[in-house]
Amino acid sequence: MTSTRTLAGTASACPVHHGYEPFDQDDPFPSYAALRAQEPVMFDERIGYWVVSRYDDIKAVFEDWETFSSENAQAPVRERGPQARQIMEEGGFTAYSGLSARVPPEHTRIRKVAAKAFTPRRFKVLEPEIRANVVRLIEAMLARPERRGDLVRDLAHDLPTITILTLIGADVDKIGTFKRWSDSRSAMTWGDLSDDEQVPHARNLVDYWAECRRLVAEAHETAPDSLVGDMVRMQAEGDPISDHEIASVCYSLLFAGHETTTTLISNALRVLLSHPEQWQCVVEDTGRIPAAVDEVLRYSPSIVGWRRRALRDTEIGGVAIPKGADILLLMGSANRDESRFEHGEAFDISRPNAREHLSFGFGIHYCLGNMLAKLQTRIALEEVARLAPGLRLADHADIHFGHNLSFRAPAAVPVTWED
Amino acid sequence: MPKVTYTDHTGESRIVEANVGDSVMETAVRSGVPGIVAECGGSLSCATCHVYVDEAGLASLPPRAEMEDEMLWGTAEDRRDNSRLSCQLRVTDGCDLRVTTPATQV
Ligand code: HEM
Ligand code: FES
Repeated sequence: MTSTRTLAGTASACPVHHGYEPFDQDDPFPSYAALRAQEPVMFDERIGYWVVSRYDDIKAVFEDWETFSSENAQAPVRERGPQARQIMEEGGFTAYSGLSARVPPEHTRIRKVAAKAFTPRRFKVLEPEIRANVVRLIEAMLARPERRGDLVRDLAHDLPTITILTLIGADVDKIGTFKRWSDSRSAMTWGDLSDDEQVPHARNLVDYWAECRRLVAEAHETAPDSLVGDMVRMQAEGDPISDHEIASVCYSLLFAGHETTTTLISNALRVLLSHPEQWQCVVEDTGRIPAAVDEVLRYSPSIVGWRRRALRDTEIGGVAIPKGADILLLMGSANRDESRFEHGEAFDISRPNAREHLSFGFGIHYCLGNMLAKLQTRIALEEVARLAPGLRLADHADIHFGHNLSFRAPAAVPVTWED
Repeated sequence: MPKVTYTDHTGESRIVEANVGDSVMETAVRSGVPGIVAECGGSLSCATCHVYVDEAGLASLPPRAEMEDEMLWGTAEDRRDNSRLSCQLRVTDGCDLRVTTPATQV
């Protein structure tokens, strides 16, 4: 690679975009820093989005939902090809969004029902079961004679998936199927696929949506003690929500409810193990885990960028934004903005204000599952610290992240340990 | 002007002048009162704006709505009878509310 000089004199692959490559997730942070310094509101013609990188600007956009709508949050970044479109039409795929891309007053109405079904009491009772699952998964990994594991495959993949399937009342034996559908949703919406590459994913989305509708139909028959059962009961008692909307909330939770938590658990262990002295602090005092989880969310968020659309002519950070403009908010960059976080590029579990990260968004769409995500990650870290305090990253672990606009997920976290 | 007194778990108090219509959470965040985190910005999704309201004030407040009550089961420090989520409490004309913040919100 030849290095080119940019305004600040730093080397980067593309001087026009300050090194920012929308789908590259291996190490986007130097380009975020360059964007913040040189062009904090940049139109990126390669994707057709205004890319916003400073903390205050991003928070202001999240807060002003009347000007900045989330209606584009689930739109495919790359337009669907003709074959994929045909498969989805013929397969009766009519889902778009459960909540994140809905706007008030519809969003307010549906979120109320979803929130009532998804209460702390609903998921806190699962704590012992979550802990037992962590112990089972870790012990299975540690039993391997070759003393090598992959924390994504061996722990983070299954744990939150079992939890959300249990809450929804879906089949816990089908983790693999639900994960495959989620991967397809991620690739089809935020990926950079050719028309041909989209075909198998389109088929998966048809099956995924059919399962969501089946779960609602089944809940009408069997009145299960589950999230879907609760929403169907609320509907019967007069809460205004249709079957299609309940199925859409399932479509939402069966993706959002595990995908990003798998990433958070993977990142928490990846980042802590790559800072052995801080991992040691956590092992010696597990009371520091909640703060460590917040710092991981800040430093290495599962979602690095989220979308909005301007509903009128407006401005962001002094830059004029036309009505209809699509906007990409880089929370991964906001979280390292020096104006908010001192030494923002450093990982430090004793940072006093890590919680001010924007990794769960902000405002009316603030992540519904934030408490469940943190609960599971805390339990995972507590049990790994107890059962495998001597865990370390495998030598030469060269960790890569999938190609995606929004989701920054490590493909594997290879680890090893002594007997 | 209406005011809100925030006392932290060590007993230290701050009196803040408040605007009618703002929430008790917003009033705290705007004046940098420690002890109220309010991660979700008031969308009733984080339970990090938990406060204990003093007896006199409690009677003057509208009762908890169903979702506020549910979210109070998710607080870091256990709920008590006088627990409220401060993002749900509106400052009214002439109010003089006293609240205590828990030792931790997370
Ligand atoms: C580390 C884990 C997670 C991260 C980083 C994360 C991140 C996010 C973000 C960035 C948003 C958009 C917020 C906005 O537009 O302002 C969001 C929304 C949402 N999340 Fe999460 N999430 C996580 C886990 C979960 C879990 C476990 C669930 C459910 C069980 C969940 C359910 C939702 C839902 C339903 C929404 C849409 C809310 C709305 O539009 O009203 N998330 N999340
Ligand atoms: S600010 Fe999040 S619940 Fe009150």
